[in-house]
Amino acid sequence: MKNLVKYSLITSLLLGGAACTNLDEQIKGDFTKQEALLNQGVGQKINVNKATPNDGLAGAFTRVLNGTAGHNSYFSVQEVSTDEAVITQKGGDWFDGGIWLNMHKHSFNSTIGGINNAWNDANAGIFQCNDLLSKTQTAGNVAQLKTLRAYFFWRLLDVFGRVPLATSTAKVPQSERPVVYAFVESELLAALPDLPSGKQEYGRFNKSGAYALLARLYLNANIYKGTAPDNADYDKAIAAADAVINSGLYTITGNKYKDVFSPSNVENAEHIFVAPFDEATGQGMNLAQMTLHYPSQLTFRLAEQPWNGYSTLEEFYNSYEATDERKANNFVVGPQVDLNGNQILDLAFDKGDADGAPINYTPAINMLAPNGSRQAGARFGKFSFKLGQFQNMDNDYPLLRYGEVLLNKAEALARKNGYGDATALALVNQIRTRAGVVPFGSLTEGTLLAERGRELFIEGLRRTDLIRFGAWGNAWWEKPAHSDAFKNLMPIPLEQINATSGDGANKLTQNPGYQ
Amino acid sequence: MTKLYLFVRRYLAVMMVFGAASAFAQQSVSGKVTSSDDGSGIPGVNILEKGTSNGTVTDSDGNYTISIGVNATLAFSFVGYTQQEVSVGSQTTVNVKMESDVTSLSEVVVVGYGSQDKKEITSSVVSLSTKEFNQGNVNDPTQLLQGKVAGLSIYNRGGDPNTGAVIRLRGISTVGANVQPLVVVDGVLGASLDNIDPNDIESINVLKDGSAAAIYGSRGSSGVILVTTKRGSSKGGGLSVTYNGYIAAAEVLNRVPIMSASQFIAAGGNNLGGNTDWQKEVTRTGITHVHNLGISGGSQNTTFRLSTNIREVQGILKKSGFDQINARANLTHSALNDKLKIDVNMAFTNRNSNFSFTEALRYASLYNPTAPKRFPSGEFFQAILFDNFNPVAILDQNINEGKRRNLNYNAKIDYSIIDDLTLTVNFGQQYENVLNGEYYSRNSLFRGLNRGGLARRYTSEKSFTLFEAYATYTKQFGKIDLSANAGYSFQQDNFEDIFISLGNFPNDALGYNALEQSGDLLTGITGANNINIQSNTSPTNKIIAQFARISLTYDKAIFFNASVRNEGSTKLGANNRYGLFPALGLGVDLNRYLQIQKIDNLKLRVGYGVTGSLPNDAGLAQELYTYSNQNGGAITKARAANANLRWEEKRETNIGLDFSIGGKFSGSIDVYSRNVKDFVSSVPVPFAQFGADRQFQNAGSLSTTGFEFNLNYDAIQFGQVRWTPGLVLSSYKSTLESIVGAPVQVRSNFGAPGQNSTPLIRVAVGEEIGQIWGPVFNRVSAGGSDGKEQVRDQNDPNKGVAAGGVIFADLNGDGQVLAEPGSALNPNGDYRKLGSGIPTMEIGWRNQLSYKNWDLNVFFRSAFGHSLVNSFRGFYEPLDAGAINSYNRVITSKAVAGLTEAKFSSLYVEKADFFKLDNATLGYTVKRSNSNGTLKNIRLYFSVQNAFVITSYTGIDPEPVLQDPGAFDNGAFAPTVGEQDVLAPGIDRRNSYFTPRTFTFGLSFGL
Repeated sequence: MKNLVKYSLITSLLLGGAACTNLDEQIKGDFTKQEALLNQGVGQKINVNKATPNDGLAGAFTRVLNGTAGHNSYFSVQEVSTDEAVITQKGGDWFDGGIWLNMHKHSFNSTIGGINNAWNDANAGIFQCNDLLSKTQTAGNVAQLKTLRAYFFWRLLDVFGRVPLATSTAKVPQSERPVVYAFVESELLAALPDLPSGKQEYGRFNKSGAYALLARLYLNANIYKGTAPDNADYDKAIAAADAVINSGLYTITGNKYKDVFSPSNVENAEHIFVAPFDEATGQGMNLAQMTLHYPSQLTFRLAEQPWNGYSTLEEFYNSYEATDERKANNFVVGPQVDLNGNQILDLAFDKGDADGAPINYTPAINMLAPNGSRQAGARFGKFSFKLGQFQNMDNDYPLLRYGEVLLNKAEALARKNGYGDATALALVNQIRTRAGVVPFGSLTEGTLLAERGRELFIEGLRRTDLIRFGAWGNAWWEKPAHSDAFKNLMPIPLEQINATSGDGANKLTQNPGYQ
Repeated sequence: MTKLYLFVRRYLAVMMVFGAASAFAQQSVSGKVTSSDDGSGIPGVNILEKGTSNGTVTDSDGNYTISIGVNATLAFSFVGYTQQEVSVGSQTTVNVKMESDVTSLSEVVVVGYGSQDKKEITSSVVSLSTKEFNQGNVNDPTQLLQGKVAGLSIYNRGGDPNTGAVIRLRGISTVGANVQPLVVVDGVLGASLDNIDPNDIESINVLKDGSAAAIYGSRGSSGVILVTTKRGSSKGGGLSVTYNGYIAAAEVLNRVPIMSASQFIAAGGNNLGGNTDWQKEVTRTGITHVHNLGISGGSQNTTFRLSTNIREVQGILKKSGFDQINARANLTHSALNDKLKIDVNMAFTNRNSNFSFTEALRYASLYNPTAPKRFPSGEFFQAILFDNFNPVAILDQNINEGKRRNLNYNAKIDYSIIDDLTLTVNFGQQYENVLNGEYYSRNSLFRGLNRGGLARRYTSEKSFTLFEAYATYTKQFGKIDLSANAGYSFQQDNFEDIFISLGNFPNDALGYNALEQSGDLLTGITGANNINIQSNTSPTNKIIAQFARISLTYDKAIFFNASVRNEGSTKLGANNRYGLFPALGLGVDLNRYLQIQKIDNLKLRVGYGVTGSLPNDAGLAQELYTYSNQNGGAITKARAANANLRWEEKRETNIGLDFSIGGKFSGSIDVYSRNVKDFVSSVPVPFAQFGADRQFQNAGSLSTTGFEFNLNYDAIQFGQVRWTPGLVLSSYKSTLESIVGAPVQVRSNFGAPGQNSTPLIRVAVGEEIGQIWGPVFNRVSAGGSDGKEQVRDQNDPNKGVAAGGVIFADLNGDGQVLAEPGSALNPNGDYRKLGSGIPTMEIGWRNQLSYKNWDLNVFFRSAFGHSLVNSFRGFYEPLDAGAINSYNRVITSKAVAGLTEAKFSSLYVEKADFFKLDNATLGYTVKRSNSNGTLKNIRLYFSVQNAFVITSYTGIDPEPVLQDPGAFDNGAFAPTVGEQDVLAPGIDRRNSYFTPRTFTFGLSFGL
């Protein structure tokens, strides 16, 4: 007995010591390498939207969903800083550190979370493109990924200007804006030959996608390069737009404006490149939540309570003619009722609100802050709502669409040949006719900018347009005029500067004019 | 020690005998004092006539004779035995059987992998036994210790019966790793306190400094709590049965001070026609029953103890509480002439909880007081507003409950190969299973209505296996006593869980019990996308370690301890899996050489030790790809590998002095300095390089210095009243030494409505941790000709503040006010430290009083120097015309007249110093020393917890908040404890459970 105990003890000591020495960690809940998708059914959905292609590129392409039509990222930066959108402070609601009031008043700050998110969302896309490009891909896939990466770099070019051109996980220094511009152009041109000529696959690029982006790039070339306007750039913009138009793949004729943005707008004839939002498989479009007042939940039987944040400036709303189809489509205004036709109530209505508890969205807004009326402001109805929808909407969000290409060509012509250019006028009038308003007799810089605003409302282009038209420093409602050219760029997020501090290779510096 | 003690006691006894000569003696009593262990006489037992100085001691056979007064009571005491008192009456012979007292016998202190004589200890170790534990309604073992150990901060704010306390030993010892101390139960490290009933605990030792904890290596950084459960005894030969039970009633101590319906209307709120005291509606007097039955016994070679604990606990929030049954069996067997000793411990806990909804307390505090509970139709009143739910409806319509089962066992075998060498093998396992269910009614605006009913189920299993083997060698060489041990430790833990959330139920009748009836399961309808199912399986987390320790004692006066542990973990990067954790300690019994009169003990200790911490999450070092059906179905790279992820390391030096003067005054003083290096934290990284905007890295270092006092006086005597006061006092300060990325950061977010993007806490290199950071309130804007008072601001030259708005102070005197949250780090910003979230001093003051058979324990607890952000005031105190109709208003003495704008500032940072009567217990013991009766040691007690609190803080509880759960609102689900921010202490959020005041009546007896 004694020896038995002794030896079993010693044996177990030795065994224990020998048996358990492997400390390799086996992750069970996630992949530790890029596994292939063997089940083609995954990610597909029978509801409204269709599946994106099973080409192994989804990891990168889904990144266009992030921040594109949600709160506190790219969309918010591109819209709240303009004359078409505002988030008022509604008493104790929506002050949030004053960041949205400051955004509206062009007091930009490197600590604003939304600006940092815009940076991260674009870089997340770039990272996934780089990850996939580092693996063996077909020439077609390489072209897709390069075009997509160029799109993300275009966003950074447009918003931040001076960014690192990361094409791998290696650390790279920050590039100046003209360098970033040249890179985006060269990548798009290099990708073009391997992109499909025919209609794009759902959520992917074709040649027209690259051309449409090039047209936009060239139209803004003087801003991006920091040079005087150059007709050569406008010629390139016209040629790129013509490549899209002449492809014959797209049309606005017979295509109702509202159908371009509705929940069932999959593969609309005007879509060139979209963020394929879907309530299940493509989440991130929260426009109903962002804009509607709490009790509007009852009007649309929303599954989740909206946030009562965004609305449109009265002046912008009034820039539409009464008969403009786009006015009816783009805004939710007036008294609101539930599904049974009963007026919906805000039991916490402001004492000063003439409408009292019944909700009435008035285009006029009493003030920006601190006591903006809870019910004031025309709300965003452009991407129309589905009854009973959840927080994530089903509408595809066009990132490049035919209507914009037409307007881009018109503008390039006008900038090159003067606003009397007949083709330019005809192109703009195509857009107006579709909207059900009387064609223009002539075109001016001001009417073109206004027309772009009405047509491209909340498509994330207003900030870029205002800068290009030299209207960025103008005064508008509750926003003082300024002549600070440096504000054409947003500040590099402080968090990003900090993340690279102490590391010479990729150290970021702030854009001039910002602290 | 024992011998010295004996000598002192005998000496004292002799003195008393002389003293007794002058006493007026009327009666002679004699008898024999024997040990209940074996019936042998005990020499040297101290016998005292109570209330006098008359006494004697027993002779070498245990016999004694004493002359005493009429109706005298004799007190028999001897070290190692429980004191007994006998009312003599007319007896002339009083024989007494003394019961040995395990706790006081153990001058031996349990330390890692063994035990040491207390005087040999060279580190800071605090040992508490049953007598020193907190009493009253105690449902969690950590509550036994609250305030009793200097440097151990235990805060269970509010006292939700279903949540545990936050524990910090000597401040923040880690940032991103496990912040709670390592628990070792009966030698099983990594054990869970959830499976121990407080009634079954014999003693708790807390290893405070690095030199003591280093033998445990990993997880030793946050301190080590060693729990020893009660064991059986063969004394008396038969069975002994004990019963402990109590009934307790808890009531709300403090409410959030809010407006009544009439005050609300007068302040401008919309009158909805009702008048409801929402806070009263959702709270109750919680009644708790606890019963503990222990049976112990055995024979010479085998002893056992079995116990059963039943708890039925009600919280003060309606519905909240739990029912629990716990059973424990401890068995000890020795064989082969005591060369072989086997210990087997088993415990099982079955707890059924009703978590209720703490959100109901939040909404009870902010819901419109003029709202009726129900519409005339009988349906609950509801308004569709942000962050607004009828609290009575939340509780009435919905279900939130769960079951938890814990099982653990371990077997420890000690075998003496030769006299000096013992081998020990310890094998243990523990399991925890959780099964929770929530159901939100189809009619519940809170989470249910828009989902057509919502069910959530969660189940998890946690398992842990320990295998340790070590050898212990003890030998005396002349003046040197040597003890050494060395061994191997293997630990493995696994975790799996499944979560399901779906809605759209035909009706509410079946709650969460029939998930298959969910309409979400039908394909092709809206809602199908909102089924949420998740399952997780952790990697098999392993820890492998080798350790050794040597203890040397020279001349019984100089003590040296050294240990080292080499430890590896799967959680770390391939380049840094192993860490080495050494410790050294030296102690000197100074008085052995100084021989100072009246000083009984004077020991100086110096210790240095290195301990480690592991990140909570597994897989942080590895490259990860995640698949998501959402976003089109894609595998995306989620994280870059970090092969360099390594141990957090804490280096600590502790200097201590133990003293005892004149046999009455004793205590210890400890001063320490600790440095945490390579703490793991999530830091911002460039997305394009890492595939994520944050990565867990060894991100920085921080240091803490502090001191601790523990003073006792035994005892002050007023006639028959004996008063034993004791004081523990501690203070520390933590400083951030370095951090990756920005050297100055702001953290935390005040939250909605309206105060998102509003940081509250500053963290900066070279500065202390826990700074509440914000602008300073200057005055209320009086308005102006255009209704606005102008404030100069370089960002906005036309800035004006409307009448009733906040005007902040221009702190730097530059003539402009930069106080918006975006300027928190602006060099010209008007921001400053508004308070510290961490107390500068924590004090526990205990008082034991005894008078005849009565005993009274009064325990005061206090913390000074900390502040709290009073969130309720920060959102709901200003008379904001826009918000008053959504939310009731908080009214406190600190409100500023005319203020109508809710913006975070110094106004809402309040000093939260407090002094509270934490616990007062009055007990009466019925002495039945002749042991002829069936009942022994009957004790009755009455206890009050949280009797009163003195504080200027206007929130519900001034206790420090050591970590921040962040802001969550509008029915969102709370973040888990692991996601809380330890660098952001001091924020009193709006979801606090109300603090109870508890009255307990208890009874215990033995058979």
